Amino acid sequence: MTSQASKIPVASGLPEFEDRANQETKYTTCYMCACRCGIKVTVEDNKVRFIQGNPNHPINKGVLCAKGNSGIMKQYSPAKLSAPLLRKPGTERGAGEFEEISWERALDIMEKRLSHIRATDPRKLAYFTGRDQMQALTGMWASQFGTYNWAAHGGFCSVNMAAGGLYTMGHAFWEFGDPDWDNTKYFMMWGVAEDHSSNPIKLGLKKLKERGAKFVAVNPVRTGYQAIADEWVAIRPGTDAVLALSMVHVLLKNQLVDDEFLIRYTNSAQLVVHTPGEMGDGLFYRGEGVKNMQGEPQVWDLVKEEFVDANLPDINPALFGEFTAPDGRKLRTAMSIMLDKYLDEQYAPENAAKECGVAAEDIERMALEMAHVAFKETITIDVEWTDWAGRKQDKFIGRPVSMHAMRGISAHSNGFQTCRAIHLLQVLLGTVDCPGGHLAKPPFPKHIPPGIKPAKECAPNTPLKSPPLGFPTCPEDLAIDENGNPLRIDKAYSWDAPVSCHGLMHMVISNAVKGDPYKIDTLMLFMANMAWNSSMNTAQTMDMLTAKEDNGEYKIPYIICSDAFNSEMVAYSDLVLPDTTYLERFDTISMLDRPISEPHAACDSVRIPVVKPDRDVMSWQEVMVEMAGRLGFPAFTKEGGERKYSSYKDFIVNFEKEPGIGFLAGYRGKDGDKSLRGEPNPRQWEAYEENEGFFEMHLEPNQRYMRHANLDYLTLAKEAAWVGSTKQIVIELYSEKIQSFRLAGQGLYDGPMPTEEHHKERLVKYFDPLPTYYVPLEEQRIDREEYPYHAVNQRPMFMYHSWDSQNAWLRQIMSQNYLFMNRVAAERDGIEDLSWVWVESHNGKIRVQVKLMEGTNEQTVWTWNAIAKRGGAWGLSDDSNEATDAFLMNHLISELLPAKGDQNDRVTNSDPVTGQAAWYDLRVKITPAAPGETGAWPSFGALKPQPNADASPDMLSYTSHKNVNLVRPMSDILTRGEK
Amino acid sequence: MKLGLVVDLDTCVGCHGCATACKQWNTSGTIGPLSDKDPYGRDPNGAWLNRIRTYEVDDSPNSKTVNMPMSCMHCDDAACVTVCPTGASYKRSEDGIVLVDQDKCMGCNLCSWACPYGARELDPNEGTMKKCTLCVDRIYDESLPEDERKPACVLTCPTKSRVFGDFDDPNSEVSQLVRDRAGKQLMPELGYNPVNTYLPPRNKPVVEQYQPSLKATVKGWVNKVISR
Amino acid sequence: MHPAFSVLVFTVMSGAGYGLITLMVIGHLSGLSQLQDSAVLLSAGILSFVMISGGLLSSTLHLANPKNAWRAFSRFKTSWLSREAVFAILLYPFMLIYLGAIWMDMTGAVVSVAGILTAVLAMVTLFCTSMIYASLKTIRQWNSSLTPVNYIALGLMSGAVLLAAVQTLVGGDLAGVLQQLALALVVLGAVCKVIYFFWIGKPAGSTINTATGFTQASVRLLDQGHTSNSFLNDEFGYTVAANKLVRLRLLMLAVAFVVPFLLLLCANSVLLVVAAASTIAGLLVERWLFFAEARHVVRLFHGDQRV
Ligand SMILES: Nc1nc2c(c(=O)[nH]1)N[C@H]1C(S)=C(S)[C@@H](COP(=O)(O)OP(=O)(O)OC[C@H]3O[C@@H](n4cnc5c(=O)[nH]c(N)nc54)[C@H](O)[C@@H]3O)O[C@H]1N2
Ligand SMILES: Nc1nc2c(c(=O)[nH]1)N[C@H]1C(S)=C(S)[C@@H](COP(=O)(O)OP(=O)(O)OC[C@H]3O[C@@H](n4cnc5c(=O)[nH]c(N)nc54)[C@H](O)[C@@H]3O)O[C@H]1N2
Ligand code: SF4
Ligand code: SF4
Ligand code: SF4
Ligand code: SF4
Ligand code: SF4
Ligand SMILES: [Mo]
Repeated sequence: MTSQASKIPVASGLPEFEDRANQETKYTTCYMCACRCGIKVTVEDNKVRFIQGNPNHPINKGVLCAKGNSGIMKQYSPAKLSAPLLRKPGTERGAGEFEEISWERALDIMEKRLSHIRATDPRKLAYFTGRDQMQALTGMWASQFGTYNWAAHGGFCSVNMAAGGLYTMGHAFWEFGDPDWDNTKYFMMWGVAEDHSSNPIKLGLKKLKERGAKFVAVNPVRTGYQAIADEWVAIRPGTDAVLALSMVHVLLKNQLVDDEFLIRYTNSAQLVVHTPGEMGDGLFYRGEGVKNMQGEPQVWDLVKEEFVDANLPDINPALFGEFTAPDGRKLRTAMSIMLDKYLDEQYAPENAAKECGVAAEDIERMALEMAHVAFKETITIDVEWTDWAGRKQDKFIGRPVSMHAMRGISAHSNGFQTCRAIHLLQVLLGTVDCPGGHLAKPPFPKHIPPGIKPAKECAPNTPLKSPPLGFPTCPEDLAIDENGNPLRIDKAYSWDAPVSCHGLMHMVISNAVKGDPYKIDTLMLFMANMAWNSSMNTAQTMDMLTAKEDNGEYKIPYIICSDAFNSEMVAYSDLVLPDTTYLERFDTISMLDRPISEPHAACDSVRIPVVKPDRDVMSWQEVMVEMAGRLGFPAFTKEGGERKYSSYKDFIVNFEKEPGIGFLAGYRGKDGDKSLRGEPNPRQWEAYEENEGFFEMHLEPNQRYMRHANLDYLTLAKEAAWVGSTKQIVIELYSEKIQSFRLAGQGLYDGPMPTEEHHKERLVKYFDPLPTYYVPLEEQRIDREEYPYHAVNQRPMFMYHSWDSQNAWLRQIMSQNYLFMNRVAAERDGIEDLSWVWVESHNGKIRVQVKLMEGTNEQTVWTWNAIAKRGGAWGLSDDSNEATDAFLMNHLISELLPAKGDQNDRVTNSDPVTGQAAWYDLRVKITPAAPGETGAWPSFGALKPQPNADASPDMLSYTSHKNVNLVRPMSDILTRGEK
Repeated sequence: MKLGLVVDLDTCVGCHGCATACKQWNTSGTIGPLSDKDPYGRDPNGAWLNRIRTYEVDDSPNSKTVNMPMSCMHCDDAACVTVCPTGASYKRSEDGIVLVDQDKCMGCNLCSWACPYGARELDPNEGTMKKCTLCVDRIYDESLPEDERKPACVLTCPTKSRVFGDFDDPNSEVSQLVRDRAGKQLMPELGYNPVNTYLPPRNKPVVEQYQPSLKATVKGWVNKVISR
Repeated sequence: MHPAFSVLVFTVMSGAGYGLITLMVIGHLSGLSQLQDSAVLLSAGILSFVMISGGLLSSTLHLANPKNAWRAFSRFKTSWLSREAVFAILLYPFMLIYLGAIWMDMTGAVVSVAGILTAVLAMVTLFCTSMIYASLKTIRQWNSSLTPVNYIALGLMSGAVLLAAVQTLVGGDLAGVLQQLALALVVLGAVCKVIYFFWIGKPAGSTINTATGFTQASVRLLDQGHTSNSFLNDEFGYTVAANKLVRLRLLMLAVAFVVPFLLLLCANSVLLVVAAASTIAGLLVERWLFFAEARHVVRLFHGDQRV
């Protein structure tokens, strides 16, 4: 783009606008949300003048969102915590009575408590983190501590997307992949309001629109991204799998699939044993006498006319057909099973239309449009590359259809299978990791699934043998005891949710209070507002946090929380450790975690303080390293027990996970000239600082696509420790791993099997090895007539969860949320615009204010997420709009399934496969409130301000210097006559 | 020169990025501070120079949602300037930017009454009128890198829905966009001749449908020899 | 439009003051016998002076930054508000000379010239005031020649009632001319006002469609971009229920026109004072309605379908 500035003559008579000599610019990474844009911060006198996007940064390329642009008001928020807080002896948890204590004392208290737990029963420490970005460090800390009771937010966030992708293609939606914005010609977005790729999606959509590519949005609500979509598909919530699989039906019916892609890169030609009711049914055929799931899957070679190892190169597998193994077992290719399943009338557009509300013609048309773009508008990139078998290929073939999906899919209890259904659609069209398709972001793709197994053993003063979280591939990998009972406090990897690869954060408090499966001693929360917007069933969660045993002790005896602000959670903690703000701390966005990579570049980044804290605060990173030293974790101490790392910065530079691999992948090696792998570089922080806070290594053109089967890429990935081998990553349309759980449910598995009926039933019903649709669990268990509406949430683009109501600028954009409802539906129900209504679910009721709109599915109501706050928290007044008029949908959502008097009553309200919290399964009824009934209900008493806090000001005139006015001369005023 | 903005309604997602970028730049800029009343209390109310409004066009279920960012249009016939009794409001003859001299404004609100576009807001603390300066203190500031000499809102817009330039220059990007995309003025009937111009949503792209061969649908699937 | 009380007081008081002094000068200089008594003239003059000055002072109350009020004189070239300020100030020396001359029982050219200039400037100032509103294309209900006609008619009308009241109070029996003039002006004012109400009742002008540029389909506001208040909402969002407006219009017509008309017929000094008070009270309601019924086009952006 040409700069307009050069064309503008500098107008005479303009003064020097502000004194820049007094200003410095520094580079760091935004953390107003998890998108992690690069920012350039202008600072004067330790005050922030301006935060702008870093134009060189791989993520945001110079742009910033509304939150990023409001960092100043986060930095100067009155809600910032200013010193460690200890609940006053004799006061109740939740009353918010604290005394300020020194860091030394706070750390001593923590050390004493934790070292006792570690020496006795480490699982009594449950350590859970919210929407953080340092899971590599906190996870490692937990495993060094020796507790498997650790997880981050993934379980209540979007594990369905992670698991759906990682068990299918080795990468995923969410933070693991992106559409090829530069080449795609047809883009379908499923259930996304904002997502983590906040600015990249916006930059990408602009590119699409500019090129005239088609943008289809599948979403019950038309706001935000859907506003600019060329086609809006107003789906009924929870039914996306029907739509996707019906499009699959149309493709299969018309034989519109990329068979070369299927044969070369997927397991669809592999032979599945078909012996219903017998052991081994539905597993791959791996040759004569080979034990279940050992050895190589077989295909039928059309040329050799024999069974061959499916993973060999240069074979000619039959994609379809039924065969008989020498031992007489019936075999079918996975593809043949798919034909059977998806050509069924259930998925015919006419029938699908009834379930998902999308017209049959539209389903058919969209499928055929995508087929046209994929097969008739193919693009090729003429770059020579080497495939997994070492064969040279002369080009990349691109089928420019791409998709992105997020919580509209994941936050349902059928989200795992729905996500897989969308991937199936992508794979049949051959649009995975190809030009114009959906691209992985390094360190993805990984082998399916990544080869880490969840930890199952805990012992005093001993690190775990493997990380707390991993990817189970069969019932043997579950974290259950010999009786089949859950080992983990959140019951992850139990029969309730066997493939819960991110844990179930939403179950921790409820389980710990019930002592089911056991009691804990200390709950340690980092960056998680569990006493408010991140819990289901908020009101009851607050009760649980204060629930006591008969002896007067709290059921959760001790709660430690790290927060930077006076959130609702602070009041419910016994020890509060005040964090720095993102502009005040060192931090890494690590390749070991979810780095900031772009599809064609491996990238990571850091935060470097740009302003000095004016309070007694310490970053959680620093606390973790300090505590690890004090508790003597092996990885943090030398032989003699002395500390290895003096600080977080020191740890980041010198820690190696394996030789040459550390938290930061850039500027490694003694001289900083090595990338991805290399010895520690003592000047690594300085190198990042000099390079504007990030590291970016572009992949070579021959490493950019088909990375699941691209030797040039896989070799690099192995060197970088992103993958364990350079073997082809075979896309798993048919998941034998999921089938192994189904077999356990059927009682046909040679290994651990559930004993309870409801577990068996769940495994049989939901562990389909092929993507499938089932009615979301809450909907199965309530009366649909009684609760006629789906109720879902959207993220506002200008608020990050609970973080931004303290932000004086952002809260002016929204300090009250409404319940949005389709106008036609509301008129039918006699509900008026802006009236107050009762919204009731099986779990409770709330009173909210309604706003009518056009662009909402008629069976759906929705609201913006996490706008409501408790009075007094977040530096807000007791009568703030957030506290009096705004509402949380969370009160209506139960952490357990709707009660029906069966064994499922005790089961988590989550996806039965992954344990993903089913926030958007909610069904409600709506009735007008009585005249005079206004204001949000329930409301909770106001929380206390922190001790010694300054009162929030009632007028704000922020400026970083005295403003330099532009003055109009009197002569001009008197002489000029305007037209 | 006639400087102003083009705003693309086809791509604006209503993120409010431009609104807060504007707020943070200008609160320490020549028009600042931009004060906020009751910032942490009930009904916070501050001065903003750029607001985003969202409309629904047509009825359910065919409605289309449109996000419309609005800041000062730097009108050719700016009545906000002519009504101002103090001379605080003025339109620069060299580039058409409409400004308010903060030292001279008496806070009578008349200019805001004269503005059809809601572009002027009184500062609750200072009592003076605030409005978009087209970031005059960025576009002319030679101490900024050349490609940053753009309005803060333009620089930050994640969908690049805002373009800054000279409408008098027929070859400028803004003039071209206005021509190519049939740019529109808002409420032209009032005769203010707003410089800022809005690009209406584009027509939907037409994508062909694959014409399935009848043969395929009738005949079953046949294995093809494809080497792995 | 939000009716700021200071502005209501300003326009009604100073309007009446200008009307009063103008009619008084005309009566005085044209030799109307009841208006040759300096006590009557001074009383009326001082009353007018107080009302004009009080009004002007009140008008500064609505300035958010009054320390710059003095600058309001600088844009005479384009700004009706500036012109109003200039003429309002220009009036003072002439009015003072005129009243001073009467006080000193002077006669002749000085009185006439000062008087005529005072009357002309009073009317010009009142006209400028009205043009502040009439010139705003953004407010259909104001942007009309009916606005200056109304301001001048009502200013003269209230001035006439005041003059009649002062004249009987200070000078005894009411002059028939003054009574007839007042009655005529009350009728004229009422007619103007009724015509105005009919005129603003007709739908016209910009709509949410022209405001947003989407003229082919219905347009509805989904989100104004902020959930609590804003300057624009405070200033332009003022809305009164339609039935309340109707009631207030009737009340206003009664208090501002019908009651004074009837009381004027009685020609009793006490009743005339009541008539004057009633006129002023009625006109305050009239001015309140003038604001409350005015709908700025910015409202279209905030969801009104038309203004
Ligand atoms: N500004 C901002 N950005 C954020 C966050 C934030 O709080 N604020 N949070 C971050 C976090 S933690 C996450 S997990 C991501 C989530 O990012 P998104 O996935 O964008 O999350 P939601 O806002 O929940 O959007 C869900 C969308 O799905 C739609 N939807 C609901 N049910 C269905 C359905 O059944 N089918 C379909 N097709 N659509 C449905 C809703 O209308 C909504 O538009 O955003 C991240 N980014
Ligand atoms: N109804 C409903 N509920 C939902 C969702 C939904 O869609 N609907 N979405 C769910 C999803 S996807 C997610 S990810 C969760 C989010 O859940 P959380 O991550 O638990 O929620 P947040 O509101 O982001 O707040 C976490 C805490 O982090 C604190 N914090 C902010 N910055 C810092 C910092 O720099 N350091 C420290 N130590 N603390 C900090 C905040 O003050 C806050 O108390 O919410 C879930 N809740
Ligand atoms: S998307 Fe916005 S808040 Fe998130 S990191 Fe980027 S600029 Fe910051
Ligand atoms: S938009 Fe309003 S403030 Fe800006 S120049 Fe036009 S009339 Fe004046
Ligand atoms: S508010 Fe200020 S800028 Fe506006 S008209 Fe009055 S004096 Fe002029
Ligand atoms: S040009 Fe500058 S002042 Fe105007 S809206 Fe954009 S950022 Fe605000
Ligand atoms: S920043 Fe761009 S996309 Fe966002 S509201 Fe402003 S113009 Fe629209
Ligand atoms: Mo999330």
